Amino acid sequence: MVTEEKKKVISRLKSMYPLRAKVNETYLKSAEAIKAGKPAVWAMLNFYYGDPILKAMDVEVVYPENYGAVLAATGVAQRYLDQSDADGFPTHLCGYSRASLGYTSRMMKDLKGKIPPEAPFGGMPKPIFLMASAAICDARYKWFQALGRYMDVPVWSLEAPSPGNKEFFIEGNYQRMVELGMKHLRDFVAFVERMLGKKMDWDKLDETVNLMIEINRVWFEANELRKAKPCPVHSRDFWSAMPAALFLAGDLKDSLQLYQNAYQEVKDRVNSHAGAILEEKYRLVFAELPPWHSLGLFDRLAERGWNFVVESFGYRPPIPLDLSKVSDPLEKITKFSLQFFAGYYNDAKKQNVLGGAFAYPYLKYAREWKCDGALLHPLISCRSASTHLPYVSNMLMEQLKVPSLNVEGDIVDLRLFDPEDVVAKAEPFEETMEHYRKVRRQEGFGW
Amino acid sequence: MPDKSRGLKRAKEIYQNRSQKAKELKAAGKKIIGYPCVYVPLEMLTALDLVPYRTCGDIKEPVTEADRALPTSFCPIMRTCLDCALKGWNDFLDGMVTVHSSDPQEKTARVWESYVNHPYFHFIDMPGTVRPEALEYFKNQLNDFRKTLESFTGKKLSPGKLKAAIESHNKQRALVKELYQLTKPAPPLISGTEIVQVIKALMSLPVTEGNELLSQVISEVKSRTDGPKKKPARLLIWSSTVDDSDIMAIFESEANVVMDESCGGIRPYRGRVKLTADPLDGLTDYYLNEITCARTFRQAVIGETKKDYKKDLQSRFGYLRDIIKKWNINGAILLLVRYCDPFAFEMPSLKDYLDNLGLPSTYIEYDYTVGALAPLRTRVEAFLETIS
Repeated sequence: MVTEEKKKVISRLKSMYPLRAKVNETYLKSAEAIKAGKPAVWAMLNFYYGDPILKAMDVEVVYPENYGAVLAATGVAQRYLDQSDADGFPTHLCGYSRASLGYTSRMMKDLKGKIPPEAPFGGMPKPIFLMASAAICDARYKWFQALGRYMDVPVWSLEAPSPGNKEFFIEGNYQRMVELGMKHLRDFVAFVERMLGKKMDWDKLDETVNLMIEINRVWFEANELRKAKPCPVHSRDFWSAMPAALFLAGDLKDSLQLYQNAYQEVKDRVNSHAGAILEEKYRLVFAELPPWHSLGLFDRLAERGWNFVVESFGYRPPIPLDLSKVSDPLEKITKFSLQFFAGYYNDAKKQNVLGGAFAYPYLKYAREWKCDGALLHPLISCRSASTHLPYVSNMLMEQLKVPSLNVEGDIVDLRLFDPEDVVAKAEPFEETMEHYRKVRRQEGFGW
Repeated sequence: MPDKSRGLKRAKEIYQNRSQKAKELKAAGKKIIGYPCVYVPLEMLTALDLVPYRTCGDIKEPVTEADRALPTSFCPIMRTCLDCALKGWNDFLDGMVTVHSSDPQEKTARVWESYVNHPYFHFIDMPGTVRPEALEYFKNQLNDFRKTLESFTGKKLSPGKLKAAIESHNKQRALVKELYQLTKPAPPLISGTEIVQVIKALMSLPVTEGNELLSQVISEVKSRTDGPKKKPARLLIWSSTVDDSDIMAIFESEANVVMDESCGGIRPYRGRVKLTADPLDGLTDYYLNEITCARTFRQAVIGETKKDYKKDLQSRFGYLRDIIKKWNINGAILLLVRYCDPFAFEMPSLKDYLDNLGLPSTYIEYDYTVGALAPLRTRVEAFLETIS
């Protein structure tokens, strides 16, 4: 009974469940397809540089990062983390990488290539190649390279430019990033063709890319609706619904329909002034990656009136960009992928926020979603999702008088996160949010 | 008795008071440009009569100011580097050049630019692979760097000046390699601790003065009679950076460090920039392709469709085989600065490679602070006992 009541504290979107299920189904379907002889590829979050290409080539793709979150959420991660440690990988490495290194070590060394029986959703089968990426976190390609200790599987590392704050605007720079992306992807297509022994169907790729763009546009618009008061969607629904778009899970036409359903449900909630929690006292932004093993924490904070209305820059769909006049699908992919950060640079420049792509979005979110506070979750094992957070915290206060609560933790290793600590800090932080609400009003902010 | 103002003594003086020379040069009208990483093409600064100055941290200085700008679970070297900058240690700098050699470098660059006000600031993006399109992109990045430098100095960077600067820096690379030849004898003629001081001094001087210092050091060391004592172990240190002689002295308590494969040692000096028709081509190839830092994604065959772990290891660590043989190395310490992810992922594979060569090795992690030195000493001593 108690558990049921707690679940009701956050009113979950009905349309979220099939989106979440889609990712789980993808693992199971992949496992079945691979048993039937289809090749599998392991890929890391690559902000769409490589995903549509794999999708169009009809490969079963599994994502060790997403699977790391699954392992954490299902409580299976610890034995793999321990195995990674025992194999000599430092404990402060990315939790996702440690989980997959331990998993692969167990599968290849202990079980001679068989999927570990305890692995949830059918596990990740041995791939025919690994698709790494330098996007946002460039240490990750070293992770996939390190998997070579356990399996002789080729690795392709996708290039992803990362321009400086001012340098982004140097004449010709954007076009050169596009050229790098297109040339690189052309070679990647040739690599995939060689690995699979079949040619790319370019029409299918174009259709895949268009669906990817449209899915993200609809998902972006759904999130824009969360600016409403009360906010109709809590971050927990965002995190549950986003993997289908972020990892291009399953059939994309089906995904598009599901995201359109989600958009409609959110719109209906806005029209009927239905909030995601019972009483929205505080609107918060969350950065960056959540503690997947302790998501119940957000229910406890929701009981206090904390509604998480916007979150996780790295997981959000890019600001829509009209690519309808671009005919080459590789150019479309490149421009769409670049838009993840490029979409924020102009505004950041206007506001003179040098933190650029990583820090500026949080200022935009706090301003436009009218946030009272920020819960920042620096990760002991992830530099990329943490480095900018002190800067974000400073800028939120300096520019918007929005206070932050910092809570260190980890995405996979639950020993490094203490939800009780957050709850203990909640009350004093509410006083802080109340104080700065008054300050913002005195200083003429809009909320 | 060696002249106090020359050779090793001079290197030690500069090492102990690195900024003094830079400040003198600034007072004489020179512009000083900081850089935190050896991937910044110094030739382009030298060619425009700018003085490159490597911005380092200090293991003896507690990080306090950087706490407001960077998280604690982050590259300790970049944290202390930024900390010193925020404390005004580098206020004499006229500019700063940063580079995307690793995530911490890239992310610190954004923070640095936001918190430290330099008249000139430039960030060079750097691809992760050595594929042709990556080299082309990187060359364009260097070309953008050239443009902002020209705008800052009001001078044109001519190919002739750039070639001359490349030759000067190549000479420095050749001299450093010559210096390392002096660690081949048993006992070595120069200690690892002294080399750390020499290299760090080089990173504080204009290239011509650095070359002069190197020539003096080499000449002095060749004829010295008070060199290091022979010790039971001849070590290779493999790390991201070892730039403090107190750290090196720990390894040398019971061993001779004859090769320091880090960016405070031979790593930035092992190769040479090719003199190409367009000098930027040579610089592009050298900086992206030739420097053997863990940050770069290397493969046995670019774009390979089959993988063989042994060949993969050879492509990543093969350069060490000759060094181990020629320098008669009998132990390796893989020194990891905590939170350095590219090097951390590399550790088990490098250990596999060294095991295959039959070279005993140990992996030690520390956090680049004075407080880490005592436990570091204990672990080094334990390793040395096992190999001696």
